[in-house]
Amino acid sequence: MEILALENLSFRYPAEEKDTLSHISLSIEEGDFCVLCGTSGCGKTTLMKLIKRELAPHGTLSGEIRFCGKAQGELSARESAADIGYVLQNPEAQIVTDKVWHELSFGLENLGCGTEYIRLRIGEMANYFGIAHMFREGTSHLSGGQKQLLSLAAVMAMSPKLLLLDEPTSQLDPIAAADFIGTLKKLNRELGTTIIIAEHRLEELLPIADKVAVLENGALAAFGTPQKVCRELGGTPIFAGFPTAARIWQKLGGTGEAPLTVREGRKFLEQRVKIASLSEKTNAKNEKNTLTEQKSTPALTLAEVFFRYEKSAPDILRGASLSLREGEFFCLLGANGAGKTTVLRAAAGLAKPYKGKIKAHGKKTVLLPQNVQNVFIKSTVREDIEDMLAIYGAKKDEIGEKAFSLAEKLGVTHLLGKHPYDLSGGEAQKCALAKVLAASPDILLLDEPTKAIDPAAKRELAHIVRELCRGGVAVLAVTHDVEFAAENADRCALFFDGEILAPAAPQIFFSANNFYTTAASRISRGILENAVTESDVLRLLEVAK
Amino acid sequence: MNRNDIAFARFHPTVLFFYFFCLILFTVFTQNPVLLLSALCGGILFCAVTNTAKKNLAAAKLYVPMFLLVSMTNPIFSHSGATPLFFMNDNPVTLEALLCGVDLAVQVCAVMLICGAFSRVMESDKLLALFGKLSPRLATVLSMALRFIPLLKRKWGEICEAQRALGYFREESFFDRIASYARVFSALVTWALESSVDTAASMSARGYELAGKKHFSLFRFTRGDGIMLALTTALSAVTLFGILLGKADFDFYPRISEINTDIFAIITYAAFGTLALLPFIFEVKEALKWKYLRSKI
Repeated sequence: MEILALENLSFRYPAEEKDTLSHISLSIEEGDFCVLCGTSGCGKTTLMKLIKRELAPHGTLSGEIRFCGKAQGELSARESAADIGYVLQNPEAQIVTDKVWHELSFGLENLGCGTEYIRLRIGEMANYFGIAHMFREGTSHLSGGQKQLLSLAAVMAMSPKLLLLDEPTSQLDPIAAADFIGTLKKLNRELGTTIIIAEHRLEELLPIADKVAVLENGALAAFGTPQKVCRELGGTPIFAGFPTAARIWQKLGGTGEAPLTVREGRKFLEQRVKIASLSEKTNAKNEKNTLTEQKSTPALTLAEVFFRYEKSAPDILRGASLSLREGEFFCLLGANGAGKTTVLRAAAGLAKPYKGKIKAHGKKTVLLPQNVQNVFIKSTVREDIEDMLAIYGAKKDEIGEKAFSLAEKLGVTHLLGKHPYDLSGGEAQKCALAKVLAASPDILLLDEPTKAIDPAAKRELAHIVRELCRGGVAVLAVTHDVEFAAENADRCALFFDGEILAPAAPQIFFSANNFYTTAASRISRGILENAVTESDVLRLLEVAK
Repeated sequence: MNRNDIAFARFHPTVLFFYFFCLILFTVFTQNPVLLLSALCGGILFCAVTNTAKKNLAAAKLYVPMFLLVSMTNPIFSHSGATPLFFMNDNPVTLEALLCGVDLAVQVCAVMLICGAFSRVMESDKLLALFGKLSPRLATVLSMALRFIPLLKRKWGEICEAQRALGYFREESFFDRIASYARVFSALVTWALESSVDTAASMSARGYELAGKKHFSLFRFTRGDGIMLALTTALSAVTLFGILLGKADFDFYPRISEINTDIFAIITYAAFGTLALLPFIFEVKEALKWKYLRSKI
């Protein structure tokens, strides 16, 4: 049965000159798991909000939205509120109440349900979503992943027929994100809930999706099964967010079914290698690591650093040692809550170790925090950058010019007049970087720089970091993003148990890891040697030909 | 001792609220030393059994000097009363004023102890459950406010740290520091407004605007709650009756009146004494029950 139909839907915001959405027609069946993707600013959020009547933005709308065979305008307020659930992007802001149980009961209270009914429903929800152990806790104690799970549970308590999620995992680390997506899959498979999710990280989502809708500049670029979309869109910019297996398949000119998971990717690659009849396994090790060893002037040294928050608390850093070289991009990987951020705080002088030494060799160190919004304290981006320049002693008459040239360097001149809170994830990050670079640092510390940005912004970030390193700046990033680290870092290391383990070039680092590694490495393990990125795999097969 | 470990706190919010309302009302509006002393005893004993020794000592350090201060203040400023003890700066210090001061000190300490017990027993959820019955929307707003406080605190810390990592707050000058904090504050306000847009979206997405909102709370009204409520009502009614009959009247000026000891007065004292000691008695009863259970296991 058709649950949602959009017919020739167009939408324009009041002050805009062109349509944000134009002539979109699609149909979602009951029980479908539909992924909506597209670059930021393509109209994903607008489309999602139009489907949920309570959140529909103001503007001129033409075409029709039908839910369960009824036109949207004919739905009663109760139907619209209860039958269509909506989970927003920001885990923090969408939680309303102070206690977990109260958040779960919030929707049911609004529907006017009785006490006994509510009690049973929220008990059921807490069990199903695995949050029973924090039922009576305050919502402010939860982690980002737990908050997002709570928001989902709170929406599901109203038993919606259609669940809309707007980039729900963009603020989460990969492990929490995978957990969240796993829960969505369970909801879809076990309860038959229809799901539409807007997302640009597709590695885990695409294999479980029934349908994929791709938006480009407000128009529907493709719609259909993942296979169909892969065939149609291969090679376009949006394809960069698709699973690694599918990207390799496309680049190698694969035909037939596109592989979406690591397992399917391995099968495909094995066949390919057989066809190419490689006499011996090829090795992807290259000159990259020898290159980094040449530039060995240390910029930042951590020597056996110990740190704890309180006298009786456990050690967060337990003899962490690291030598960051000039012009090097170093990525520190590790699980959540392990204390990676503490390494950065120590390096920035915000956390004072009780044992061990941190030497910055007289160099200027700045830290870009995980939530880049915290960097801004003025009402426009320009003012923020100029303020920073003034603090670092730029002359009054030069400030304006310098701010502009910084913005130019990062490609944000068009954003200078905007309020920092009006920027998208990628834009905010570039502007924050511009402000941080106003200090002309020698050492740049980045905390989860790829969180909440789309693949295009990620590429730009990599480019900016490369440029900085070429100019002699040492960059230390802590990240969960193994793909980003593998593609861009000079060296990577694992942070575990308070120590920094096995710093090495990405090729060596990731091919030594079995689980904590890139999809490309998992796909090519045992077939190709030391291939950790998509381009490694492609290069080896090119060479083989 | 943890809040959850206070047995008395496990009663239904309505019961607790009614109990403390009655107790505080009587304590505030009487001068009778017998009633005030029983209220003080109730307060001290409850405090003693539900707090750690360390906290009790800290409380004593506050209450004892305050008791003395209040008792001394009255005879210095009030010179009424028929029995002068001695003269200070040509003013009589009277026995009546002295005892009245002591009585007042007992009253102040008793009310403070009872209010302290109230705040420890009634956490935010319980207050919300009470207000929710009056207005579900008011309860939601209060709950949102309670959520917002820790959130703002954390965000303030985050912004300050981010700025410090960029080189702000390194100025020596006091005024520069104030200016830096002002900027952080304005960023905090902007953030709060921004995020409230999302909160509002999340609320209306879950039907906040629907008519017929009901209130839900986790608290169940049990048989034990009914018994405690009945007991509180009965004891309060007897006390109120006694007070209205004038059995508990007491005056310090011009001469200290005698403490009423007829049968009705004694019933009134007993009723109020039991009322004041209820939490303590209950606490001890529960503690003994656990001890007994454990010895059986």
